[in-house]
Amino acid sequence: MMTGIGVQTHNVVKDEDPRVGFGMLKEAGFTCADFSLNGYLPNTLLYQSQPNSFFDRPLQELEDFFAPHRQGAEAAGIKIHQMHMPYPVHVPGATEEVNDYLRRQVAPKSMGLCHYFGCRYMVVHGFKLSYYLGSEEAEWRETEAFLESLAPYAKEAGITICIENLYESRGGRIKEGPCCDAGKAVERIERMNDRYGAEVLGFCFDTGHANLVGIDMEKFLTRLGSHLKVLHIHDNDGIRDLHQIPYTFTKTRENRASTDWGGFLKGLRNIGYEGVLSFETSPSLSSFPEEMKADVLTFIARIGRHFAKEI
Amino acid sequence: MNILCASTGLIWVKKPQKGISGIKEGGFEEILLDMSSCCPPGELEYLGKEIKGSTNILKRKPREESKISEHPEELAGRFRLLLEQCREQGIAAPIARAPYLHRTTRREDLGDLLLRLAEESIKVCGQAGCRYLVVSPLFSGIERGLEWEANRGYYLRLADVAKQEGVMILLENQCREMNGSMVRGICSDAREAATWIDGLNAVCGEERFGLCMDVGICSLCGQDMREYAAALGSRIKAVILRDCDGVQEGAMLPFTCMIGGKFCTDWLSLIRGLREICFDGLLVMDFSSMTAAYPQSLRPQLLQSAWNMAAFFQWQIGMKSVLKKYDKRVLFGAGNMCRNFMKCYGEEFPPLFTCDNDSTRWGERFAGLEIRPPEALKDLAPDCAIFICNIYYTEIEQQLRKMGVTNPIERFNDEYMPSYYHDRLEYWEGEG
Repeated sequence: MMTGIGVQTHNVVKDEDPRVGFGMLKEAGFTCADFSLNGYLPNTLLYQSQPNSFFDRPLQELEDFFAPHRQGAEAAGIKIHQMHMPYPVHVPGATEEVNDYLRRQVAPKSMGLCHYFGCRYMVVHGFKLSYYLGSEEAEWRETEAFLESLAPYAKEAGITICIENLYESRGGRIKEGPCCDAGKAVERIERMNDRYGAEVLGFCFDTGHANLVGIDMEKFLTRLGSHLKVLHIHDNDGIRDLHQIPYTFTKTRENRASTDWGGFLKGLRNIGYEGVLSFETSPSLSSFPEEMKADVLTFIARIGRHFAKEI
Repeated sequence: MNILCASTGLIWVKKPQKGISGIKEGGFEEILLDMSSCCPPGELEYLGKEIKGSTNILKRKPREESKISEHPEELAGRFRLLLEQCREQGIAAPIARAPYLHRTTRREDLGDLLLRLAEESIKVCGQAGCRYLVVSPLFSGIERGLEWEANRGYYLRLADVAKQEGVMILLENQCREMNGSMVRGICSDAREAATWIDGLNAVCGEERFGLCMDVGICSLCGQDMREYAAALGSRIKAVILRDCDGVQEGAMLPFTCMIGGKFCTDWLSLIRGLREICFDGLLVMDFSSMTAAYPQSLRPQLLQSAWNMAAFFQWQIGMKSVLKKYDKRVLFGAGNMCRNFMKCYGEEFPPLFTCDNDSTRWGERFAGLEIRPPEALKDLAPDCAIFICNIYYTEIEQQLRKMGVTNPIERFNDEYMPSYYHDRLEYWEGEG
């Protein structure tokens, strides 16, 4: 039995009056939200080594800032089920000062906010360093060291950090990035959880990223098994990371979905997934007229219910 | 490492002489023999079916010969002339490809025929002195999750005849087509492919199976080829080198598919992976999409380009193997390339010193090495190799030979490095 259907808060919940956005989510049929903490420190700024000052303030001030959001979610009956840490948490080529700020300020405060929201899962991006370090193993060692810095607090706060399958843009084409090998992910998650005697690490499966690099979703999910904790459900054309609504893209005259939604559902069914079906489709909202936002959200939630029925 | 040219689209089985001589003139001495040229996927797809429109006035002339799909035993006869002429022209065929089904096939009833065709292909290989045969895994009509069971039986049934004929069977990484999208298929998970191959070899009690890595498939599936090659290691016996746009099938020469001035295939990962495992197998150039479209009159130039490209990859991939060949080495050049050598290979393959033509730098230390004059090379032990770390390879080699240096001279290059990190570099730069 699914525990809920969720969607990103980005493009819906506004700082000026979070209650309105959470109310809209509830009205559309959602029970959960993926809180877009990453929106407060945009990656476009990080890639330019110019982080804004949002996370400079102490955790208490950040909590005060987000108090209306927490109250708005509670009032609407929306559970903050998962959260996205700002990313990247390591910028290759950036100054040590920037990377140190991300590791020592942004990441721990994000974890603190996750706890503040009563949120169980924090999604983080692994470091994209294989180009520089030469191998995925060397890249993982760096990511693992970062995760280790967060794990004691995660254990204490009852948070599971979720690593996500990512892609890399190399040359003129997208290719697999960190955490695209389910077998390795399982080994690493188990190793860390054994070390801490708690579920400090889990997996966030991103359907769009998987589609970009031809991952066999059924096989991947089946291999992940119970280590799959959260989802980023969205669609694309297999070329760009577009974050659109499932079943949007076709590539043949038969007009059948070019993303393997059947394999995705079968994979979830195979492992008896009972978590939240969370959509990462906020960019699709900006392609519709503002007055249709509620309808689009309702449609996304409807797809969620269809998925739940199929699983 | 041998460099080869796939025969696909280049050699006409009925009149092979011109195609073979063209390949030879292009510089190649070996080919991959594509047996599907006598039994293409389209023929298999329509086997036993009447093709619509075959009774109209454009009806084809009756075939002069039977179909291989109906008479697999005729496969050897069909290639006799081609193989004779290859022998006459000094072209070898160390690898072949057995007929296969297209990935979008609807035929689920051809397992027995594919087995028969593979057996006949193995016999042709035996007669032709072909060491390897690429046999694609069975996929059509096989339930998801049961691929290994189905293919295990299939490949083991081929093992006996392969042993008799002295042929190694190569599995090949596949992708599935999913309503126009490419999804990773059989043998695209490197660890799983390794398990399959090891399992088959364990039953055979010898190395009868290996892998042919198709770069185009890896690219279509967005795979990290460094990781793929590293996980499979010495099981990789052949590499099909082809370019495509990463979205649609294609067999182009490397470095020809670009978007916005950037390559569609991640050549760095491929070179890193194959270099790391010291790949020493067959490097097969497949540019059949270009062959099909290129003007006939430009084909000689196309073939020469293909050979040059293959030689480039052979050089880049073989860089570490060449370093390994020598117990002692020195460098020539004290610039960026020397620094990159030291950064990536200095620990594993430490040079005795480097040298440079710039006399103002003699006696200095650079990247942890003493810079000596070129004259110092005359005193080297005969088995010490000189690695030129400067793009003026030809000029420097001529200079050294004129000086009477007889040591082996090799060309180092830093365009594709195993890593790009700078910590040690900065450390060395601090040296006086």
